[in-house]
Amino acid sequence: MSLNEAPKFVRADGPDKVTGSGRYTADMNMTGQLVAKFRYADVAHARVTKIDVSAAKATPGVLAVLTAADVPDLRYSPVVPDRTLFVKDVVRFEGEIVAAVAAVNAATAQAAVDSIVFEYDGLPVVTDLEAALADGSPIVHEGWESYGVSGDTVQRPNVASFSSIEKGDIRAGLAAADHVITSRYVADASHALPIEPRAVLAQWEGNKVTIWTSTQVPFDARNGVCETLQMPSSRVRIIVPHLGGGFGGKCGFHFEAHIAALARASKRPVKLVFSRREEFLAPDRRREGMIVDITTGVTNDGTITAREGWIAIDNGAYTADAAFFPQLAAMHVAGPYVSPNVFVESSLVYTNHQPSGSVRAPTAPQACWALESHTDEIARTIGMDPVDFRRKNTVDEGLEGPAAQVYGEIGLRRCLETAVANSAYGSQLPENEAVGVAVGWWPSFPGPSGAYIKVDADGSGQIITGAQECGTGSVMTLRYLAAEELGMEPEDFELVYQDTSAAPYDTGATGSQTLLNNGRAVIEGAREVAAQLRDVAADQLEAAAGDIVLADGFAHVSGSPDRNVSIVELAGIAAEGEMLIGKGSGTPPDYPTVSATCVGDQGVAGWAGPQFSCHAVRVRLDRDTGVVRVLEISAAHDSGTIINPIAAHGQVEGGITMGIGQALSEGTVYGDDAKQRNAGLLEYKLQTAADAPLVTTEFIEIPDPNAGPRGAKGLAEAPNVPTAAAIANAVAQLIGEPVRQLPMTPERVWAVSEGSSS
Amino acid sequence: MSESATPQNFDLEVNGISYPISADQGKNLLSVIREDVGLTGTKEGCDDCECGACMVLLDGQPVNSCSYLAVQAQGRTVTTIEGVMQGEEMHALQRNLLDEGGVQCGFCTPGMIMSAHALLDRNSNPTPEDVKIGLSGNLCRCTGYAKILAAVEKTAAE
Repeated sequence: MSLNEAPKFVRADGPDKVTGSGRYTADMNMTGQLVAKFRYADVAHARVTKIDVSAAKATPGVLAVLTAADVPDLRYSPVVPDRTLFVKDVVRFEGEIVAAVAAVNAATAQAAVDSIVFEYDGLPVVTDLEAALADGSPIVHEGWESYGVSGDTVQRPNVASFSSIEKGDIRAGLAAADHVITSRYVADASHALPIEPRAVLAQWEGNKVTIWTSTQVPFDARNGVCETLQMPSSRVRIIVPHLGGGFGGKCGFHFEAHIAALARASKRPVKLVFSRREEFLAPDRRREGMIVDITTGVTNDGTITAREGWIAIDNGAYTADAAFFPQLAAMHVAGPYVSPNVFVESSLVYTNHQPSGSVRAPTAPQACWALESHTDEIARTIGMDPVDFRRKNTVDEGLEGPAAQVYGEIGLRRCLETAVANSAYGSQLPENEAVGVAVGWWPSFPGPSGAYIKVDADGSGQIITGAQECGTGSVMTLRYLAAEELGMEPEDFELVYQDTSAAPYDTGATGSQTLLNNGRAVIEGAREVAAQLRDVAADQLEAAAGDIVLADGFAHVSGSPDRNVSIVELAGIAAEGEMLIGKGSGTPPDYPTVSATCVGDQGVAGWAGPQFSCHAVRVRLDRDTGVVRVLEISAAHDSGTIINPIAAHGQVEGGITMGIGQALSEGTVYGDDAKQRNAGLLEYKLQTAADAPLVTTEFIEIPDPNAGPRGAKGLAEAPNVPTAAAIANAVAQLIGEPVRQLPMTPERVWAVSEGSSS
Repeated sequence: MSESATPQNFDLEVNGISYPISADQGKNLLSVIREDVGLTGTKEGCDDCECGACMVLLDGQPVNSCSYLAVQAQGRTVTTIEGVMQGEEMHALQRNLLDEGGVQCGFCTPGMIMSAHALLDRNSNPTPEDVKIGLSGNLCRCTGYAKILAAVEKTAAE
């Protein structure tokens, strides 16, 4: 079956998931298993004076208690190694782990955790981004200069990573403008919040450990265990049962080493299952708060002459994977617009908050919200229709982006026209309703990835892939790619995935990269098997291998469909001799080089497979309460070729809903003590089915020759990008000026509305 | 060791099978289903009645099993996701969720199916708004709900 003919795409893991038979990590249990609990610091900044675990160790039923003294003394993390497994001398956020306990049951483990004596001298907390950057601020990481950062990373006091993008002459560009518009926008932090709280189960056999864990990135998790426990990768196996969502929250290496170390110390399998509160407080992965200052110079006819930006990103206490955030945020604040002169400075600022990390399109929804709100401010200032302003200034084929990348055929302007045309923009609307429009963009992330393909004696296929399925369906799509290469059916293939000891490396369910990179690997592996099948068929049909066609379960001679042999028969023959086994990785697409000056370059200024989008959102405002309700969203996306339409629509609908939450209700509230005040689903509000708007999606399918299979680009993160921005622009129309804080809660909307009407 | 001072002995009927249970009287229905009965299709997402992943039917009514004492379920019938299949055939809700693309990570799916089941049991001809309200106690972070709502509406129309 050809991919294009596939009317519906039913997931290979679907029956497990709708019947309740699918196993997630928390559903796994081992004989003799102990329960793990952590003692958290519960203070955001402090110097440790005493950690005494003797009472915990003496508690009957407790088999292991670990602190920093029990694991190798080293700091880890990619790019900026500023993290330790356990609190050592200084606590830097409330969710840091002081000690880990393994006991025969949960109550015993909790009693032991409660008995641990943890004493400290409080230190002044760093919470405000601008104060953190000022001279004389308390320093979150004393001794940061010695951390040994990698690559071109630039650091400063309380700045984990600094980047700037500079092109042209910003002063001359602003001087040439008829209008200079300056805006400030401030976004709160928010959370990934997969519905499955994370779980880890570790078991040792001899000197090898197997860890079942709810990670999006099994190979990162393995490498983290290897690094922190000083083990070779040949002795660490990560298996991911079904994964209950991630959205970036389960990227990175988190608690696998703690649980592996507990299991080693107790000589028992040990299992950790997070409560929802722990899921809010402890992971190194929340969406970063951000301050964005933007200045744009425009001429009277609406031409951009210059764009200047200043960005402060709340890194939290440790850097996780966030070192590239400043450069990525700078790209989003400059945005998909043509400007001859650009200067954006961007800092990842240490605070005593929970660490930030990649959550679905990190930095982009906040930065896009700021930029696109600012864009509507520009249009209002010069009296131009905001859609016309975007028609005039957005990037297009042959034009140059902010880092001086020149684009091939791209679909941003078609996205703009399509999303607007499918919306009520420009129509007469009921009172208190408006349509806001915003455009967005997001890179694809080429990288190494591998797969094996085999066809067994009975003609059943297996795809053994390093790729990780987090719900998007992208691993499920791999069966279609293999089937098409081999003239077989998708259902003929079993997927073996999420096991670091079974399959070659893949980056994981991160960066919307699975289809882009692992799709390439699967196709290459399947082509190896196809060549082997043609050789066997050539012998059987007494034809040249080059003349053999694989289709509909048969090998036939080109031009003579009657001269055929079934693939099942060929597989049986091959199983007696040279078996049907293929491997693939392929060469990842290139990252374009850019000519703008990039200080603190983290490799995310030149975008391969750039994705583009436009959302037009119709909202209704209740002026008495400030409550904004999203009624309809018209979305148009250029993610290159769409291979799995049902999954693609699902990504857009899901990303939009997450974006609505970020726009209107999802924001972390911190106290003056730098601790979270709304770490629960009662206080931190997600969108529900009752809130679901009507979503209309169109894909602008332009195959990208420098991207994935058939010109497919990434997709899973992009729908998050322009949603909050489009909602903001609708709200600003209704109340006369933008709400300059995210989320745009009823209180904030009401306050701006009252201020502008009084 | 401080867990379960006085275990309570009682029978619990789950999916038509009666199980002898010995559990602390403070143990919630969710934990008894997952640990004592041994059915793990019912999920724990928040332990706070906010997410609906633990939804089961108690005498046909949807209940967040995380916040319901197991002992209170004795003498009543509990239906979990494992009891939804009709013999070897999927229930229309299960089939339509797959056909419509209403399943992504799948963690909310069992609870969502139980809520939808209860909704259709009490209202075989729900309006789209009825379906939205009927599922509003179940959080999904993947799908944006559209395909789940479509699957339930399609089931109702069959």
